[in-house]
Amino acid sequence: MALAQGLTKRAGGVRSASVSRRTVNPVRCSVFSAKNAAQRSAEVGREWLETILSRFGPATDRAQNITTLDFEKPLSELDKRIKEVRKVAEENGVDVSSQIGELESRAQQLRKETYSRLTPTQRLQVARHPNRPTCLDIILNITDKFVELHGDRAGLDDPAIVCGIGSMDGVSFMFIGHQKGRNTKENIRRNFGMPQPNGYRKAMRFMRHANKFGLPIVTFVDTPGAYAGKKAEELGQGEAIAYNLREMFGLRVPVISVVIGEGGSGGALAIGCANKNLIMENSVYYVASPEACAAILWKSRSASNQATEALRITADQLVRLEVMDEVIPEPLGGAHSDPVAAFPAIKAAILSTFRHYEPMSEREIQLDRYQKFRKLGQFEEWVVRGADWRNVRSERASAAGVQTDAGTWALNEAEAAYIESSVNADEAWDATLVEKADWTNKPVQPPGLGRSGVMEMAVSMVEARRRKQAAAGSRSTAPAPAAAAKQEAAV
Amino acid sequence: MMSLKSSVGPSLAGKACHGANAQVLPRMAVPAPLAGTAVRPSLAVNAVNPEKNGAYEGSPIVSGPISVGAMDKDSKGSSKPVDRSKGLWTRCDKCGVILYIKHLKEHHHICFGCNYHLKMSSQERIDHMIDPGSWRPFDETLSPCDPLDFVDMKPYPDRVRDSQDKTGMNDAIRTGTGLLHGIPVALAVMEFGFMGGSMGSVVGEKLTRLIEYATQEGLTLLVVCTSGGARMQEGIMSLMQMAKISGALHVHQNEANLLYISILTSPTTGGVTASFGMLGDVIIAEPQAIIGFAGRRVIEQTLREELPDDFQTAEYLLDKGLLDLVVPRSFLKGALFEIIDFYKNAPYKRRGKIPFGVQRGTYGLTAEEKMRRRWREWSSAGSNGSGTPALAAAAADPSYQDLVASFQQVCSSAAESLTPGELDVADLVKEPAALNDAVSISRDSVIEWMEAQEALLGKKEQQQPEFVFRVKPATYSGRAV
Repeated sequence: MALAQGLTKRAGGVRSASVSRRTVNPVRCSVFSAKNAAQRSAEVGREWLETILSRFGPATDRAQNITTLDFEKPLSELDKRIKEVRKVAEENGVDVSSQIGELESRAQQLRKETYSRLTPTQRLQVARHPNRPTCLDIILNITDKFVELHGDRAGLDDPAIVCGIGSMDGVSFMFIGHQKGRNTKENIRRNFGMPQPNGYRKAMRFMRHANKFGLPIVTFVDTPGAYAGKKAEELGQGEAIAYNLREMFGLRVPVISVVIGEGGSGGALAIGCANKNLIMENSVYYVASPEACAAILWKSRSASNQATEALRITADQLVRLEVMDEVIPEPLGGAHSDPVAAFPAIKAAILSTFRHYEPMSEREIQLDRYQKFRKLGQFEEWVVRGADWRNVRSERASAAGVQTDAGTWALNEAEAAYIESSVNADEAWDATLVEKADWTNKPVQPPGLGRSGVMEMAVSMVEARRRKQAAAGSRSTAPAPAAAAKQEAAV
Repeated sequence: MMSLKSSVGPSLAGKACHGANAQVLPRMAVPAPLAGTAVRPSLAVNAVNPEKNGAYEGSPIVSGPISVGAMDKDSKGSSKPVDRSKGLWTRCDKCGVILYIKHLKEHHHICFGCNYHLKMSSQERIDHMIDPGSWRPFDETLSPCDPLDFVDMKPYPDRVRDSQDKTGMNDAIRTGTGLLHGIPVALAVMEFGFMGGSMGSVVGEKLTRLIEYATQEGLTLLVVCTSGGARMQEGIMSLMQMAKISGALHVHQNEANLLYISILTSPTTGGVTASFGMLGDVIIAEPQAIIGFAGRRVIEQTLREELPDDFQTAEYLLDKGLLDLVVPRSFLKGALFEIIDFYKNAPYKRRGKIPFGVQRGTYGLTAEEKMRRRWREWSSAGSNGSGTPALAAAAADPSYQDLVASFQQVCSSAAESLTPGELDVADLVKEPAALNDAVSISRDSVIEWMEAQEALLGKKEQQQPEFVFRVKPATYSGRAV
């Protein structure tokens, strides 16, 4: 339109030199140049498309990029030898199938032994392996359809976090994940998977989006941690993570988190407050990287191995601590050696976890997520000095103890006095609170819990009676429950 | 001498609530006995007793009030907390002027020379903020365990014991309720002297219990944060505490529509900034407090560039829009009163709702004591002769009626073998043996009962429509609806 206006402005529609020849007028050119023009525009279009698609296609320099970890070197040497023998045999036409078979079985045995006995340090190396499948690799291979969406609608997009909607088995999911690069150039673009505050706000925006439209959320955790930079601090790195942590508990759709690489502290937790935490066999999750931990606690970075062992970061240890729910098995040799075999296991794990949540209501899903995190933490109710809880427990179990006025057991007089004084203080506070009702805004609570303790006590009595009945019923042929209850009461 | 030791009251708070800079504070006149001892700092260096001032040794002295950043970077946020409980005098970390401990305590641990806010212990903070005699602590006996069997240079249990002996507390936080100029608040104060204020399982649990209590009673929540981050010796459990606390805060702030004010003091870094520190509806910081997520040295190594001297101070964050207020300590109590007063008088205040299953359970050594006391009330009332004693005593109390009704509903749904109405609470009270069983399995059955009740509520929710449009009356009485 501007071109036409420019033409009509000048007398007679003569094009001035300042008008750019963006579009070639096919009528005025010869046939030869018309074909060239069409080809050129097609080429330009193809180049443009390729620059977009190359971000997702196979990395062109992958072949030179294969890294071997030090404990994998014997394995790779064995594989190389097998290949050499095979090549020599082909060239010379010699039949060496028996020796090859022996070598291959030995290689397989060695691989099994190595990978079944990985130390935490080795697992950390595998989790950080440069050839490990990234978030986009996994998403594009497990979904039937996927579209990536962008932006935090506040001025920035973050390449370190990938969000999009995809479909698995006909069910639509929202996918959010940390994206690492597959070679150095990509890593720099993706900031090594370390998100900035805008990345977390982008993730939160998409989680709200999924919440609004009822899409279950699947998050892939693979980050060394949140990016530590000046701009990140100014944009509010801590605040972005905190906001995500809080708002994730308000989502009414199931959230399933899969740790596919390393999970670095708050940066990983910001998209990892999920109903179920799945973790791949060789992935790790830590509160502080072993290097940082060694530098702070052991005062030297060379103690990283000790830190890795002490921090309990591997998948099986995390499941034992009940922080993670399920371990997704990887193919023999790690996901980096056979990624195509790793993807079906991930897809199956995600879908089976999702099916578990299908029949639940929104409130149940929220409660499930709340209770999952509510129960984490190891502590003792009574005073334990120096974390010596086993001895203190056995002491308390064997001690005769004293009783308070009302009959509560206490370890000694001091504790009895403490219990009584604190309950007195509680009752005095309840009385104070009654006067100050206009300063409080007491929320509506589900019925029955107006006074804490009473409901639990009443219900426990019912429970106790029910269990006694069950015991009585199993001992004799089932009597009428009411009669049994009356009998218990009489006794 | 202008004494600011007593509570300031509402009239002076207005001055503080505009993000006042430390320099704007009125300077306190130096009392006569101290005037003679106002040392020339350059002479004082040689007179310093190195044992008394562990964190002070490397820092150069500058006289008079100074701006932030003139000091050596390493002396900021002293790595070793200086023990100020013993001895008669100490030095200001920033300007080096001599401070008498007694005088310091009277002036809320603010240096009169440069208005630098020295570190306060948690008990001193509670005494400063809560009206005397109204503090009720929660969960004082909660103690840490060693979930990972962690041994670095020293085994974790030894570190815990040393910190417990040094501070007299069981872990790095004090929680409880009290009155702040007459307002009932739920307050938590972290203690930097206990392993650098690091957040472990006990800190997470105590804070979560406090938040659940505040939600249940409708109280304003105040948390004074000071921490070096998550406790690495407890590993992944510390990380999960961030999520746990944030979940409880979600219920408190979003579902129950209650106020949460976080007060950030120096230093607040790491996991605390990334969870509850920056989640306050109103975030107040002390002047010149170091608040950040990543450590300064880490950022310098990543970027290999010089950071500004006031990087990660409270004023810097205020400038970047991450804080609401910077309030000097002498005005803090009055400022908090004024802020909470605003929210009390909100005309369209909404009453929130606690979703099912997230109420505060009965914990601790006091749960059994409370149950037994109530049991005694009921049985003694019962022995007076009326048929349903507990009901008769509490007939006027509607919540108790709901209590019994819902309890009977649960029984009718959960235990089909027992006919409804048969289980009268008074009936149960006649069984002494049941109480012992009850107390021992009460904690296990809470979740079970919650699940049963949730099924009931689920059915109810389907019957009742969730959104009801109500026309607000033209005149409001100012009370919460």
